[in-house]
Amino acid sequence: MARTSLRRALPHVLRHAVLILASLVFFGPFVWMVLASLKSAQEALSFPPTFLPQEWRFDNYLSLFDAVPFGLYYGNSIFVTVAATVGQVVTSLAAGYAFSRLHFRGRNVLFVVLLAALLVPFEVVFTPLMSLLASLGWLNTYQGLIIPNIPSILGVFLFRQFFEGFPGEIEDASRIDGAGVWRRFRSIMAPMAAPMIGSFTILAFVYNWNNFFFQFLAVNRTEFFTIPIGLSQLQSTHGTSFNLLMAGSTLAILPVFVVFLLFQRQIVTAMSGGLR
Amino acid sequence: MIDTPAAPAARRTAPRRVEPVNQHRRAEGRAGYVLVAPTAILLTVFYLWPLAQTVVFSFTDWNPGTGLVTTSVGLANFTHVLTDPEFGRAVANTLVYVVTVVPGSMALGLVFAALLATPFRGRALYRTMIFTPYIAPIVGSALIFSFLLTPLGGLVNQFLGLFGVRPIAFLTTEPWAMVSVVIFSTWQLVGYTMIIYSAALTNVPQSYHEAATLDGAGPIRRFFSISLPLVGPTSGFLAITGVIGSLQVFTQVYVLTGGGPLGSTETVLYWIYQQGFVLFDGGSASAGAVLLLVFGIVASIVQLTVISRRDAVELS
Repeated sequence: MARTSLRRALPHVLRHAVLILASLVFFGPFVWMVLASLKSAQEALSFPPTFLPQEWRFDNYLSLFDAVPFGLYYGNSIFVTVAATVGQVVTSLAAGYAFSRLHFRGRNVLFVVLLAALLVPFEVVFTPLMSLLASLGWLNTYQGLIIPNIPSILGVFLFRQFFEGFPGEIEDASRIDGAGVWRRFRSIMAPMAAPMIGSFTILAFVYNWNNFFFQFLAVNRTEFFTIPIGLSQLQSTHGTSFNLLMAGSTLAILPVFVVFLLFQRQIVTAMSGGLR
Repeated sequence: MIDTPAAPAARRTAPRRVEPVNQHRRAEGRAGYVLVAPTAILLTVFYLWPLAQTVVFSFTDWNPGTGLVTTSVGLANFTHVLTDPEFGRAVANTLVYVVTVVPGSMALGLVFAALLATPFRGRALYRTMIFTPYIAPIVGSALIFSFLLTPLGGLVNQFLGLFGVRPIAFLTTEPWAMVSVVIFSTWQLVGYTMIIYSAALTNVPQSYHEAATLDGAGPIRRFFSISLPLVGPTSGFLAITGVIGSLQVFTQVYVLTGGGPLGSTETVLYWIYQQGFVLFDGGSASAGAVLLLVFGIVASIVQLTVISRRDAVELS
């Protein structure tokens, strides 16, 4: 009797054991980051290590804002992320609808070009792209941080696929009622795409917030620094003040983490849907 | 464009009953162009044009600092790239990355996806915690790692010290710097592979598992005999996207090691960045980018065939 219940319980115990260990490895560093951000610089590296801060140093966050203009970086990151995300969602929704529902000459050729462009990662073109931005006078500008990031091939694919899988009857009915293409797009198709808009918005938000490499190349003046750039700068100026670095990391990670907690389902749907 | 000035006149002469249809067609065509235009134009300016330039510049002595191209140099950039020992090392490092991070993150992701496949209390919490590294900004999480790995007082070295290991300068000595980059990147990527495998596992019919359970197969046996073969195409997809992703690794190397010590963690993208933005050798940077592109396209073609095979599997 006891043996069978043990046999039955064992897989569950093992599963929890593995998953608890995994949680420690994958999530523990973030807990350690927050705790270290509230310790003194010495305590963050003390031997033996303390778990909870002996003395809660909330003023680390004030020191961080004294060391670097983190508020400005925050504002820049929010502005650039929101603008690029809105741009990506609007342009992808429009193009996805057109590629799926409208007939126009050259549509298939354009779509094949888009497919081909998907094979070229941004990392291949960054050298001439940055010199193009330089000749436009767009380095160290908001438009330089935002506009080149707006076209999203993935977004166009996601919306096209959404509209392809969407029953045509509703649109046909309103077409027969005499609704023009713009009205159908605005008042029927775009609202119907709300779930996909939601998923893609969140995916785009996370992508834009974390877009280090592009921003790293496009700006070198602190007025235009975003959070990831500001953090890497903080590393070079305050490399050993780990409590400040962890305070900065906490502030950088917090917004995406909150967005993720709120919209987990949409993120997972968009990510696992994006590969079909 | 189909919207020529002659069009309205032609419409007026057309038979009356056909007119509204033509008009609709035309309006739809116009709308199609307008809706596609923003993406098409921006993509051309900021993507296709620089791509064309990359290819052209790879045959010249272009200087990105001054923007000047003085002369064509034929294949000299490519010979330079392919004979540059630093590029060779960057390729080797990228290969090390590919053969460690890609299978490592896939194996762990599959294990976690399988452990989280059936509902139980705490499942959502575990999944959230394992997924978090993937959405966190890499700069932030790489800084956490540099804190954990610091020689004096870092948690990892303090832990190893309990076993009498002397402090290791993980990020500044060989081979530990590369080991650290690999471990960080695997840690960062597992959330993604887990989610993709989870989606694949939900497509495995529950009845297979039930039938196998009735036949007396335990969970481990079921994993290897049912789940693993059925997610094969997903593994192919993850392997190829993993390889393509490996070609684009930059941020964690920049933050953790700066490419060092002595170039031992420099990746292909890092090498291209250094050629273009530090040494202002735009020709070589472009040649390296072209090689990256060719490799990426080959990998993508493999990926497309894998995906179409996957669809075939799903349809059957």
